[in-house]
Amino acid sequence: MFGYEFYIDPSRCIGCRSCLQACEECETHRGHSMINFDFIDREEGIQSAAYVCWHCDEPTCAQVCPADAIKKGEDGVVHSSLKPRCIACNNCVLACPFGIPKMWEPEQQMMKCDMCYDRTSIGKRPMCATVCPSQALAYVRPEDIAHRREKPSNTFVFGNQTITTKVYMMVPEPAQAVIIDAADYIWEARR
Amino acid sequence: MLGDDLQRETLPPRSRGLTAIAGAMSLIVVLVIVQIWLLTATLESFLAGRHAAALPAAAFSGLLFLCCAVLYFFIDRVDAESRR
Amino acid sequence: MNLLRSKSAEPLWKEEFSVHTSDERYVSRRQFSKFLVLTSAAMFVGNLWILVKSWLTRKPVYPEALIANLSDVPVAGVKLFNYPTPDDHCILVRLAADRVVAYSQKCTHLSCAVYYSAERKQLLCPCHNGSFSAEDGSVIAGPPPRPLPKIEIETRGDQLIARGVETNARG
Repeated sequence: MFGYEFYIDPSRCIGCRSCLQACEECETHRGHSMINFDFIDREEGIQSAAYVCWHCDEPTCAQVCPADAIKKGEDGVVHSSLKPRCIACNNCVLACPFGIPKMWEPEQQMMKCDMCYDRTSIGKRPMCATVCPSQALAYVRPEDIAHRREKPSNTFVFGNQTITTKVYMMVPEPAQAVIIDAADYIWEARR
Repeated sequence: MLGDDLQRETLPPRSRGLTAIAGAMSLIVVLVIVQIWLLTATLESFLAGRHAAALPAAAFSGLLFLCCAVLYFFIDRVDAESRR
Repeated sequence: MNLLRSKSAEPLWKEEFSVHTSDERYVSRRQFSKFLVLTSAAMFVGNLWILVKSWLTRKPVYPEALIANLSDVPVAGVKLFNYPTPDDHCILVRLAADRVVAYSQKCTHLSCAVYYSAERKQLLCPCHNGSFSAEDGSVIAGPPPRPLPKIEIETRGDQLIARGVETNARG
């Protein structure tokens, strides 16, 4: 929708899995949730985080697709692969830095979050953002998120690749200055 | 529940420069039609033995082709700029 | 092909198979315009070809041929003959005692054989009622688009000699 943005704040996630249930209700992929639900450090605690597709400005999945099946619309939403074109090669699954695309082997089709395009294109919120009780997944206007202590950032650095996305991540520092380097968190020393 | 005030349309499509491209394309179509007619007329006059018309016809046809080429470069530039 | 494209950061294949749906309109229009310009170039080349042919075509040299004797053709009478080849049918008309003209008999409309009408002093085509002036072969009426080609006749004493086919103005 025009004027509305998607904000993800993992620190607010309470692990209720409402987003998973809501996403599963979609007619297109009933029974298969497109939410990435992770635990931060399951050994140490129960803090969870739910992510949707980040809808990158230059989507890596689209760029590596050999069949030109993944398209980014004019409103910035990156769609699941086009059914006539997808050859289930798994390039996008391997290439996405966030690990979002899922390959549905029985249908030989890649599926991922498309920000509930059937809802957002007619003025409704995505299912996950609608049901999230703590609003860890929020779909609001930028001025409505401004009151929060965390600030939105949409720039991610993966080594040499800098990615800007449509979906914002809420981070504890001023947005302009924050660049999240996910590589720093991959090889943490075990305590 | 959230969701009452959200009746907004999606982003307007990126249509910068499309009008200019449409105008240039229609101009090219007109010029090409004129060129096709000119070729047929020149051929007919040549076969009738009137060789005097061949040179000015070729020159004018070249001029039309140059105009088409210029219009195509214009379209290419509008296309490139709209991607920036 | 690189010369014909604007400077762009991305290779051509990436632009033409763009992941952004909004690019499709631009790409298809650009490709169609490119096709139109190539058509225009083809037309120009066609015109150049005609120009080159007009430069290279030499004025044909026609043989002389004895058609008939002047005394064999009465005033307002005709003589049919073939010139310069046996397949080129021509018609000779004696308009006056001292005036003889000859034309190709092929009507310039659809090649029917024209005949001479003495009372109208015209060459008439029976197929579609075209008529040519007997004086100079120009079109008087009807569908023919061009005048009748004229055969040059030289009178040498009593002999009527065909010298050549008169071509239209050349560049």
